[in-house]
Amino acid sequence: MNVSSAVVRAFGLAKTHGQGQSRVHAVDEVDLEVPQGQTLAVMGPSGCGKSTLLHLLGGLERPTGGEVWVAGRRIDTLSERALARLRRQSVGFIFQAFHLVEELSAADNVELPALLAGRSRRQARRRASLLLERVGLADRARHLPSQLSGGQRQRIAIARALANEPLVVLADEPTGNLDTSATLDVLRIFEDLRAAGQTLVVVTHDERVAATADRLIAMRDGMFVDDTRLAGSHPRGLGGLIGLEG
Amino acid sequence: MQDAVLAMLAKEPTHGYDLHARLRRSLGPLGEAMNRGQIYVTLARLEKAGLVVCERADGLPERPERKVYALTPAGQQRVAAWLAEVGWPKPDLAEFHLKLTAAAAARLADPVELVAAQRRELLRRLGEAQRAALAEPAGSGAGLLLEGVVLRLQADLRWLDACERAWSKIDDEVEGE
Amino acid sequence: MGRLVLIARLVLADLRRHPAQAAMLVVAVTAATATFTLGLSLSGASQALYEQTRAATAGPDMVALTPGSDPAVTSALTSLADAPEVVAHHGPYRIVYADLTARGRTSNVVVHGFAETPGAVNRPLLTSGHWVRSGGTVLERGFATALGVGVGDRVTIAGRSYPVVGIAVTAATSIYPGAAQIGPYGGGSDYSGLAWMTRSDARTLASSHELPVTMALDLKLRDPAATESFHDAHRDSAVRINLHSWQFTAQQDLVILRNSRPILVVGSWLLSFLAITGVAALAAGRAAARTRRAGLLKAVGATPGLIGTVLLTEYLALALAGDALGLVIARLTAPALAGPTTGRIGDAAGPSAATVAAATALAVAVAVLSTLRPTLRALRTATVTALTATAHRPRHRPRLTALSALLPTPLLLGLRLTARGPGRAVLQACSTATTVIALVALLTLYAQPERGYGLNGSSVLPNLRGEHDRQLMLAVTVLLIALAIVNTITFTWTTAMEARANMAIARTLGATPGQIAAGLSLAQLLPSLPGAVIGVPLGSGLLALFAAGNAAETPSAWLLGAALTTVLATAALTALPARLAARQPVAQALSAETA
Repeated sequence: MNVSSAVVRAFGLAKTHGQGQSRVHAVDEVDLEVPQGQTLAVMGPSGCGKSTLLHLLGGLERPTGGEVWVAGRRIDTLSERALARLRRQSVGFIFQAFHLVEELSAADNVELPALLAGRSRRQARRRASLLLERVGLADRARHLPSQLSGGQRQRIAIARALANEPLVVLADEPTGNLDTSATLDVLRIFEDLRAAGQTLVVVTHDERVAATADRLIAMRDGMFVDDTRLAGSHPRGLGGLIGLEG
Repeated sequence: MQDAVLAMLAKEPTHGYDLHARLRRSLGPLGEAMNRGQIYVTLARLEKAGLVVCERADGLPERPERKVYALTPAGQQRVAAWLAEVGWPKPDLAEFHLKLTAAAAARLADPVELVAAQRRELLRRLGEAQRAALAEPAGSGAGLLLEGVVLRLQADLRWLDACERAWSKIDDEVEGE
Repeated sequence: MGRLVLIARLVLADLRRHPAQAAMLVVAVTAATATFTLGLSLSGASQALYEQTRAATAGPDMVALTPGSDPAVTSALTSLADAPEVVAHHGPYRIVYADLTARGRTSNVVVHGFAETPGAVNRPLLTSGHWVRSGGTVLERGFATALGVGVGDRVTIAGRSYPVVGIAVTAATSIYPGAAQIGPYGGGSDYSGLAWMTRSDARTLASSHELPVTMALDLKLRDPAATESFHDAHRDSAVRINLHSWQFTAQQDLVILRNSRPILVVGSWLLSFLAITGVAALAAGRAAARTRRAGLLKAVGATPGLIGTVLLTEYLALALAGDALGLVIARLTAPALAGPTTGRIGDAAGPSAATVAAATALAVAVAVLSTLRPTLRALRTATVTALTATAHRPRHRPRLTALSALLPTPLLLGLRLTARGPGRAVLQACSTATTVIALVALLTLYAQPERGYGLNGSSVLPNLRGEHDRQLMLAVTVLLIALAIVNTITFTWTTAMEARANMAIARTLGATPGQIAAGLSLAQLLPSLPGAVIGVPLGSGLLALFAAGNAAETPSAWLLGAALTTVLATAALTALPARLAARQPVAQALSAETA
């Protein structure tokens, strides 16, 4: 794996909460490299530290140890301001709870990152309508989040995460609040992103989401316990799945 | 397989080529592995068992493609019985379970490692099935079948999680002694 | 009994959880009720001071005054003393109109010629020094205070220097500068102080400079209340006699307080208004939590009545505490405010029962008005809905979005992310308007030209009434501004708390803390602008209701400056809470939102 092609890197990354006896290692000195274009899933039981890991990678929380590099730049030492700029340029977040601005329409929500990044209003609008088209919600642009289903809201959130063409998209349990068909919609979009070479880190405990990634890391108690490449292996063909082979 | 081929002949007599195409259609990407030879072998067996009869169609002789197969009354009865049947493939979990027990007892391998390897394999399969399902157009029969495969694999993976938790605990207790 | 315990427990728990809000309500209500009580009880307090002075100085029930000093005048006065209603009298004595200079400041003065041994009626009470003796003068205390003169100093009266031998108070004349009961030759009186001399010194003073003289006679009536009928009975005397009853003199004491009452009462209304807006904003900020709690209580079987009782009990208890505190403050400050000169002695009586009732009604009104809406909502919302109540009900605000489109991008974003429903904006506008109203009133008072109390209206001696008005107005304005400051900070902070989720989202999208803080500030500042603009005409209009017809215009530059200063101060005030709020950790805010 070529270091220079890694979009996200972490060395000895650690995050502890509390002190003394009640000290909790949410993330316990992990090393990670995510090359350009890889989709990485991180799986583990609740409280294993996978959300904290994602926050650390996106600069939403500061590590208590180790380093985080995004796009060749060390970010754990950056100021709040610089982190904000990094997020608007290089990182797109997707959350389990969607976290849309409830008072703004779907299109306004998708426009936000572009406007924050200083694009003109017309550019932002054009980009938003393109992205809404891409997630299949062009006809819902004027709706408020409260008027949309969970799946539609998450698709809006994905469109918003893509607004500034981020180097990496970080998704935290993106299908955690969704039913099967909405999950499939999200997976379909992730497949498109993968095909388009978008680097994507998904924290999930949904096996479907994890299984469709290129690579899967299993996390327990703040540590990585398994790291598997999933994609590219096609040993028996699909027929093997239902016992139709030979 | 035999029952499915018989049932497909219930609508009207047809030749092997057509049967193959229809099976492929309803299985979608899962049917890619199935070759026409398998159909003919199956049809030959059914004929031998007296469940179908082969009516040679006009035209070129001796070409298997030209054989038209039809159900015999016995064949029809068999189809009816098959439809009424409520049998279900049994999940074969006992074998893996015994594998873990035996490995642990004889200290041949770490059961937790076995579980992890198995999970990796199932996740690969799940990934394939899920991707294939995503590629299917909405409402396709094959999509529905793939969804079934995905759900089965998900269930198996969750059982593996349970196995892992249980065996890790046993490990810890052994280490703790 | 159990219900009472439950109510008390719930109220206490809530107070413990939100001490700042409780303190704010108490302070606001205290300020409002103290001001209100003072406004209502000033005249009562002034009367009380007059009556105590009257009792201590054997104040006359009636003073008969006649211009001139010829024998006819004297005999007309003397005949009054023989009237059957009169039980005692003092005089006739001379009142000489002169000027007095002390420490380079000259004022009109009326010199009363008194015996060296005081009589039965009108015995001025010495507060220092001793009574008049030949060649020495005694000054009325309010006058002496205004001049800055004490016993042992020398004053020049009509060109001749006299030592001040004593300082005294009297109930026979109105307080400084209203000592001249009638003017020279029976004409109008000017601002005057009061001095006493011996009879012969007064006579000499008058004759040596040919100064105008009025003869006066102090009368004690059988029935002190019957001044009206005595006045009617002796109206048609041969010589024109001016009769001043003690009630009239007491009333004259109030002239100096004429503007105090509207300043205080209107001020207390404005204070109450600010209290309501501030507490309502806080209460609205907690409405969701309240509604949830009401739902919880309902779910375990509490009746709507009980819930309403708990909610109202808390605010009423706080308001009544503030009310009590306000009444005490009013009681303590009333003597100083009611007696702006030192011409009266004694202590003001406490506020009357009616005043206490009115102040309490005001406090209760503040409590009820500021919490009515959230309370009603908590009561009405169905139990299940209440339990799942979210922090706010999102509303699409196309007009706000359209408005924000006119702004530069960072401000647009800030506004879209942080601006909440119109309610808070209206409250902020009202708060700003109130501040500007107070500032306009204050500036207008300062802009009024006024006659000083010195000779010919010279301002070497300041106009005490104007000073008094300005000081009161300043105090009320300071209170109003203090409350408005607390309000603005409260509004910004509650806005920040409500917009916390949106701000956290924006931070994940790459908004800097600075952008967030600017947005929060702006959300408060925008409604402040119309508030300030409306405040100027409102303030002028309010003043026009009370001001004299010939009131001077306040320079418009002053008014503009006041409005501008208010807006700028608001901007500065919102900056701090906004910055604090913008620096909260993102991940925490996000997970709080999901929880």
